[in-house]
Parts: sequence; C-alpha cells; structure tokens
Amino acid sequence: MMKHASVVVIGGGIVGSAIAFNLLRMGTKNVCVIEKSYVSSGSTGRCAGGIRQQWSSPMNVKLAMRSVKLFEEFEKDVGMDIEYYQGGYLLLAYTDSEVDDFEKNVRMQKSQGLDVEILTPNQIKEKFPFINVEGIKLGSWCQSDGHANPQLANIAYAIAIRKMGGEFLTHTTVTGIDVQNGQITGVQTDNGYINTEIVVDAAGFESPKIGSMIGVDIPVHGERHQILVTEAVNHFLDPLVINFNHNYYVRQTHHGSLMMGQGDANPASGEDLGNTIEFLEEMSEKMIKDFPLLKNIHIIRQWSGAYDMSPDAQPIIDESKDISRFIYATGFSGHGFMLAPAVGESVAEMIIHGRTITTDVSNLKMDRFTIGIEREHNVV
Amino acid sequence: MEGRILDHPILNFTRKKRVKIFFEGNEIEAYEGETVAVALHAAGIKVLRYTPINGRPAGLFCAVGKCSSCLMEIDGMPNVRSCMTKVKAGMQIRRQHEKGELV
Amino acid sequence: MKEYDAVVIGGGPAGMAAAEVLGDQVKTLILDENDMLGGQLVKQTHKFFGDHAHYASTRGFEIANKFIDKIEKKPVDILTSSTVIGIYPQNTVAYVKDGHEDQVKYKKLIIATGAMERQLPFINSDLPGVYGAGAVQTLMNQYGIFPGKRFLIIGSGNIGLILAYQLAQTGVEVRAIVEALDKIGGYEVHANKAKRLGIPIFLKHTIIKAIGDESVQGAVIAEVDDKFNVIAGTEKEIVADTICISVGLMPITELAEQAKCKIVYIPELGGYVPVHDERMRTTNPDVFVAGDLSSIEEATTAMIEGKLAAMQIVEDVKKTDLEKEISNEIKTLAIFRSGPKSLKIRSGLEKMGIVTPQIEVPKFSPLPNSENGKLHAIIECTEEIPCNSCELACKFDAIKVGENINTPPVFDPLKCTGCAVCVTACPGLAIFMEKLDESPNATLGIPYEFLPLPKSNEKMWGMDRDGNYVCDLTVKRVVKNSNKTHIVYVELPKEFVDVVRHVTYPQKESPFVCRCEEITVDQIEKVIDSGITDFEEIKRITRVTMGPCGGKNCKMITLGIISRKTGIPISKLSHGTSRPPVKPVEFSAFLRGDKK
Repeated sequence: MMKHASVVVIGGGIVGSAIAFNLLRMGTKNVCVIEKSYVSSGSTGRCAGGIRQQWSSPMNVKLAMRSVKLFEEFEKDVGMDIEYYQGGYLLLAYTDSEVDDFEKNVRMQKSQGLDVEILTPNQIKEKFPFINVEGIKLGSWCQSDGHANPQLANIAYAIAIRKMGGEFLTHTTVTGIDVQNGQITGVQTDNGYINTEIVVDAAGFESPKIGSMIGVDIPVHGERHQILVTEAVNHFLDPLVINFNHNYYVRQTHHGSLMMGQGDANPASGEDLGNTIEFLEEMSEKMIKDFPLLKNIHIIRQWSGAYDMSPDAQPIIDESKDISRFIYATGFSGHGFMLAPAVGESVAEMIIHGRTITTDVSNLKMDRFTIGIEREHNVV
Repeated sequence: MEGRILDHPILNFTRKKRVKIFFEGNEIEAYEGETVAVALHAAGIKVLRYTPINGRPAGLFCAVGKCSSCLMEIDGMPNVRSCMTKVKAGMQIRRQHEKGELV
Repeated sequence: MKEYDAVVIGGGPAGMAAAEVLGDQVKTLILDENDMLGGQLVKQTHKFFGDHAHYASTRGFEIANKFIDKIEKKPVDILTSSTVIGIYPQNTVAYVKDGHEDQVKYKKLIIATGAMERQLPFINSDLPGVYGAGAVQTLMNQYGIFPGKRFLIIGSGNIGLILAYQLAQTGVEVRAIVEALDKIGGYEVHANKAKRLGIPIFLKHTIIKAIGDESVQGAVIAEVDDKFNVIAGTEKEIVADTICISVGLMPITELAEQAKCKIVYIPELGGYVPVHDERMRTTNPDVFVAGDLSSIEEATTAMIEGKLAAMQIVEDVKKTDLEKEISNEIKTLAIFRSGPKSLKIRSGLEKMGIVTPQIEVPKFSPLPNSENGKLHAIIECTEEIPCNSCELACKFDAIKVGENINTPPVFDPLKCTGCAVCVTACPGLAIFMEKLDESPNATLGIPYEFLPLPKSNEKMWGMDRDGNYVCDLTVKRVVKNSNKTHIVYVELPKEFVDVVRHVTYPQKESPFVCRCEEITVDQIEKVIDSGITDFEEIKRITRVTMGPCGGKNCKMITLGIISRKTGIPISKLSHGTSRPPVKPVEFSAFLRGDKK
C-alpha cells in the first residue's frame, strides 16, 4: 500500500477504474484505487453491458458518443479484448407519446451527428423477422450502439492501472477520511493509511456513505435490478433491444447467451442483492410473447445488481466546494458502464486541469438539483 | 460395449414396450422408460455432441442430469439433457455441433 | 492416324526431361493420364536433393511447374487426361481421352510410366483408412484435405519419412513409423527431420492387423526377428485412423511387355524391370525406358535417364552425333550413383550388364568449429548422398562439396558470414545457425516449415534430435524466406545449443476442468500466474463455473487449483454465490394458464 498517493479513488468499479486509468495515462503518478471486494464485484460486474448513444439530452448524447469513440479504441488503449460489439440498439415505441418522444429524440440525436434512424414496424420485421411486432408503432435504431463485457472491461482497467504503476487494492474497505481545515489529508482503510490530498468518490450506490465521512451530502440511493442469463445459442441477435412499454431489455452476449432484465415495480434497496421467482415468471411471459423463438431456451442463472439512482436518473459529476479536494462521480442510474470511458477522461481532466477539456459535463453538476430537475426518461 | 444385457447372474431385466425413435434420421431400438442417452448407448452411439469451442466429441458424464455433458437436439429443441429425457415414439434426436440453432 | 518421330508415355520427371530435349529436334508427342504433367512431383512439397542442373533445393511441385513451362514453349504436342491402354502392332499406341479411344504411331517410343506402391496384406488391410502413401499425398498435397487425424506409417524409406514430415506440417499427428529392417531405409537427413518432431521410428517391427469396424480405428504392430517372423508377446496396439503403406515401389511394366521388351526380375532395381542398356534402349531397338520404370531411384536420375533416352533417339532419327553429350550424361549419372546409398542400384544394373564406372567419393574431413562470438552455420550432413545444394547456396566459399556431389560438405567457419542462405537451401534441413560467446545464452537458428510461424518474444520449447523436450527458450526473430523454409532464431542456455534441433509450442495436454465452457487446468493456471488469484476474478476472465451446470462439477476443482497455486487453504478462499435456478429451466415452464 503506498504511503502517499496523489489521488485516491474510492470504488474500483468501471467508473473509478476509468478515472484512475486516465489519470495515469495523463501523467499523474501515485494513483491508488481502493476496492472493498474483488474487481467487478459491484454494479459493474452485474450489469448487462449495453453501450448506447440514444439519449434525450444533447449533452448526454455528446458524452455517450465520446464514450463510444473510446470503446472503439479500448482494446488498443487498455490492452484487452472486452467483446465490444457494435450490433446496434433497437428501441421500441408502443404508444403515441412514446412515438412523439422518439421522433423528437431522433431529430436531436441526428443534429449531434449520431447515425440513428426511425424504423417502421415493417422495417423492424424485415430486419429482425423473429421479433413479434404486434403493437409496435415505431422503432429507433442506431447501428453504432452496441455492448461489451463489463467484467472484462473492469479487469482490463485494473491490469492496465497496475501496469502503469498505479495501485489497485482489493478487499480493502475505506473506514474514514481525514480532513484538516477543510483540506483532505488522508484516507483510513482496514488495511492501512494513505496520505493524500485528493479523493474521488466513485463508490456507486454507496457513494453517500463515503460522502458522509466528510459531511458531503450525495443524493444517491441503491435500487435493486434483477437480471438473468440463458444457455448459449448460436448468434442470431445483433442489437440490444429495449422495450420501455413491456419493460425489458435483452441482448445476446459474445458467448451466445441471452442476457435480459426489467425495472421492478417496487424495487428492493440496493443493499439487497437477492432474487425473486416473480422476476423469472414476468420475464418468461414477456420473452415468449415478443420473441417466440425463445420459448424452449433454458434459463441458467439469475442475479441482481444495484443501480445508483440519482433524483433525475442522470449522473452526478462534481467537485465539492466545501472540502478540498473531494470529487465525486456517481448516480449513474443504470448507464454507468456505457459512459465510463468518457467520464473517466473528463474527471481526470477536471482533477489535473481544474476543468474538462474534451467533453463538457457541467450539466451533471450537483447544483442542478437546487436549480431545477429534468428527468432522463429513456431509462429501463 | 454396446447392446443390452440379456442374462445376468443376479438381476432380472424385463423390457417394457418397444418404442421407435430416430437418431440423425435412422431408427434406433428403444424401450419405454429408457432415456435417450441410454437407448443411444445401447445402440453403440457414445458420441452425443461435439463441443462448440474445440469440436471435441462429448458424451455422458454424470448420467443423472447434473453436468450438461450430454446435451443434444431433440425434436428441434437444442441443448436438451439426453440422460434425463425419456424416449417417446417418433422422437427425432440429433447431435449438436455448435451452440443451439434457433434461426 | 497421327505419326510422330517420338512418343513419350508418362509426364513425370523422366518423360518431361525427355520431351524437353526431343521437342526442338523431332516431332514429339507426350501423353499423361493426369490432367496435368508432372507425375509424382506435383504432390511433393519438400525440396529436392541434387545439383543445380537438376533443380536442387526446389520443391517438387515447383520443379513440375518449371518443367511444364519449358515444355510448353517447345513444339511438343501434349496430351493430358489421356490414358494409354496398350501398345499395338506396327508401333501403335492406343489411348483413351474424354471417353474416346484414339491411336498414334511412333518411330521411337519412350515409356516412362513410373512405378506403383507395393501392397502389404495384413488382417483388415482392406478397411477404409488403409492407404498407399501416394494416396495420402494426393489428398493432402493436391486436394488439401486431411486424410485423417492420427497416422501410422509402414516403411521408413524416403517416401515414408517424407510423408511423416509432410503430415506433421499439416498439423496432424503421426503416431509412429514402423520399419521391418533393423535400420532406417531412407536418407539420414529425412529421418532426422521426422525424429526431431518426436515421431518414433520402430525398427524391426511390422504391422499385424488393422482394427476397426467401419474404418480404421487402430493397429497392432509387433517386433520381428531377422527372418521377419513375428516375435510373440511383443504386440503393441496403436490408436490411429489412417495407415499409410510405404513399403516400396515397383515398376509398372505392362506397356513395356506389350512392346515386346524383355523383362527380368532384379529385386535391387525394384522388381520386374525392362532390360536396357546404358542409353536406356530396351531389347526392342525402337523402345526406350526411363525413370522409376527402369529402376526405382529418384527424380534426379529419372531426369538424366529421360535425357539420355531422348538424345539417343535424336541420334537414331536425325543421325546427328551426340556422343559427347551422351557421355556427359552417363558420367553425371555415375557420379550421382557413386555414393553408398546407390550400392543397390549399381549391383542391380550390373545384373543387366550395365557397369557403372567406379567413382571415388573423397574422404570426408570436417574442419574444426570455432567459437568466435559470430553467427555461423553448423552443417549436420555426414551421409554420402548426391547433393550439393549447400555449396551452390554459399556465396562466400565457406562450403565445399566438390565434383563428386556425394561428398559430404566441408564447412569453413572462418569464411562464414552468417548469411544463412545455406540453411534455407538445404533440402534435408540439416543446417543450423549458431552464435556462442561468453554470455550464458547462445543464439540458435533453426529451419522451420510449420504453421503458425513463431513470433518474436514467444516462449517455446526446445526439442532434441529425438523430439524430446530439452529446455524453454525465447524466439528472438524469425527470418521469412520466399521458398518457405523460414529460419527461427532463438535464445537458449548455451549448454543446449548443440542439443536443440527443433522448437515447438508448449504442448502440455491439459485436462478439462469445466466441461460446459471447455476450460482446462492450464487456462486457469495461466490466469493465476498472471497475478489474478481471486476466484471471482478468475471466473469472470475464464468463464469457469459460469456454464449450465452452475459450477457443480468444476468449482471445487478450481478452488483446489487456486489453493495449490497460492498456498491459501480452500477453507479460507471465497467460493462465490449460488444463484437460482440450480438446474436450467425453459421459459415456457413459467407460463401460467396454458400448459405446454
């Protein structure tokens, strides 16, 4: 354990790792990541790995597009093949209000330069004959959207961080942060003490816990989402499909398994990472109806993970004005993995240069909750 | 070893009704109550599939449904555990070569 | 009916060499039953021995192509896909092409129809999977398909040895070469190429039977005594799906017999052969023979014999004087046949009345090696075989073979610049590069003709002359050559620079731990070796325990491997979380209301 770090990142998930990786790449020495369990044990290792750019606000689209550019270079930059596949994303609209939203979004996304288009039900049927298009009014399709393996991505970052001379501590829990005269002086862990002046809180749904150690209030809470995986079958599904109306998403992994989940009506707290049989029943009904060819495919495993939800389902990326220097990147509300590379880059720039250079994330500052909330609806 | 035991010093084997099943389109002798893997084994068919990554021949391992080594395509359904599936008249059984084929 | 001055039956090296000479001089026709000329050359992927004039260092199929090019430029009539079915009265050759029969008349005839594989009957030798060596080469080298996966080769003559090497090049397993005699039949360098790949050669063994129901699944071999009787109790079973018979060739004399040539039985020459003089003329003054039909030898001698027959025909038909050229060729043939490997041929020919002039092969005295820190060649060719490819290749005069090309090469390390051209030229792959200095490691350059081609910094295994593992080594660089004999330069402990003669990828066969996801012990250990020791992280990288059985069968074994490698007792290792469903369940099982 290094005695003195220039930056300590608390949370070794995809966001913390991406931040540390970028810091090291930009020349910062003595970067230390502290992870309380094994690499990819948190939300990162439990998510479905979708990577999309079809968001409803220009700044989010910009951030996502930057992220996709970085995912395209991931194997070269970080050094591991993470099964990144740009098979597209297909969003489905069933109601008139969804149709309005989609058309509005697609117009805006196109103006940002995204390769997105509207598909009619017939076009959807032609592209994906195995989808039951009954009830679908419209689809929006972006070919450069895709997915990857989040566990491999997290591990890839960890290996790269160590290779670049950074430290990535696992099975180490932060127990306190020392502050003197409003200035951070060090981090206490159950494995030792690290002197530092800069701390990044990337602890996912537990980021409020870290914030509370120094009196910073972070409005994030954990919401449990369940997910299941099937046995492997030969590749047939290119895109990740999101059905907001029927409430599910599904994609096929590199391995051939189908991975899918939904938003629970009354989700359990993020602390409870158990499972319900109702989840399997609900998902089965939906799958058989919308993808009849899956009727006899076997479910192998279900698990769950926590979304770190923020009040408007948008990430919170900011630096504390009261405690120097405490930076937090959290509240990703189910789209942390896909934004991580760009977030890592922007936060590292914030730390080194005092401001972002590549992608502006000022719309994600904390003060928006006092100014006014506009919720991101394209969330499942 | 293939074929069924007819005489045994200790045990008494009585076969039930004969059932017609098909392996790769060819008829195989089977009896009610037997599982697909057992009927195939008696017919000398020990290779039940070829593994998707290395293409290696694979067959029974645990024979009691705990390992997934014996997966076959049965009546069009892929990845079926043949050691747990009882034979039915007219059943169509095939070896799987890759992962299941859906489309 | 068309009439020719010279008709050549057979488009192998003998026939092609003859046609090349005849083409400019007399009206010539060459026929071959295959769809292209070349004979057995088209199936040969190895470099040929010999000298410059006879295409030394060129691969068999390339020799065929060069020859065909030359002949097509001459005014020779070429008929391919034409099977000669008989020689008829009045100098008539009948042949069938495209289902139609036709005839030509000849003034002079060269029969160069070559030889065929000897049969070796044993129990079940009729099973699918028992092939002649030629058939295997056709499938593999001509059509590019695997004739099988595990091979047993019967016969250690040059063909069996070459076949073993060619098979290994395609990546299939050669289980063994079986030889009834107490010594290897072919050239030492051919044998060495196979031995250092780890292919065992069982001397004084023969095959008793093939095993299998619908096709070959194995074989039983056993030791034999000096009288070739099987020694009871020495039987061994070998798992194989293909058995290649390469126990010798015998000339196909049918057409010669029909042409009224006298046939005699001379085992040294391969069996029944047409009687001929030293200019290849048979007892029928208008009929000549050349190549394996006249005696089982090599492509080089076939070419020379073809030329001799052609020149004699030109003398006959045009009355020109080619005595000087003919003497030259006879002398060349004598030089080729002056080595100990040709003893059989020489004595066989004597029985026919052909005395090969005795030509001394100079005594071989190698110059001492010198360690001077420079990269230099090491030549491991001590047998007297007719070849001087290395001498031809060296531009710096460091290699001497001399006028009699049977002389083993003499190497002068002081003249060697380390250019390694000789390494790529040697048909026997018997030349290596070496650099030794005071450092603990040495550099070794190895001729390499396998896929995948190693890459710099790869870790490989060094194997000795018998194909046994000697040490780990690192690839420093790979020099690719357009003739496909590449050189792999490796760094290894200097103690082994005289021992290692081949490199392979570490080939430890590793047992499968996870049947669902096909993960081996090796794969898991590799991840642990790279620094990842947490079960959860290992699981996510390798997918072990993530298959349909839910880790029931592989988790304990995986934890055991982690415990063994890290020293942490299993009880202290995290063993993951159990997730439902514990058996795979179809979606349709969850449907309520409508039953399946």
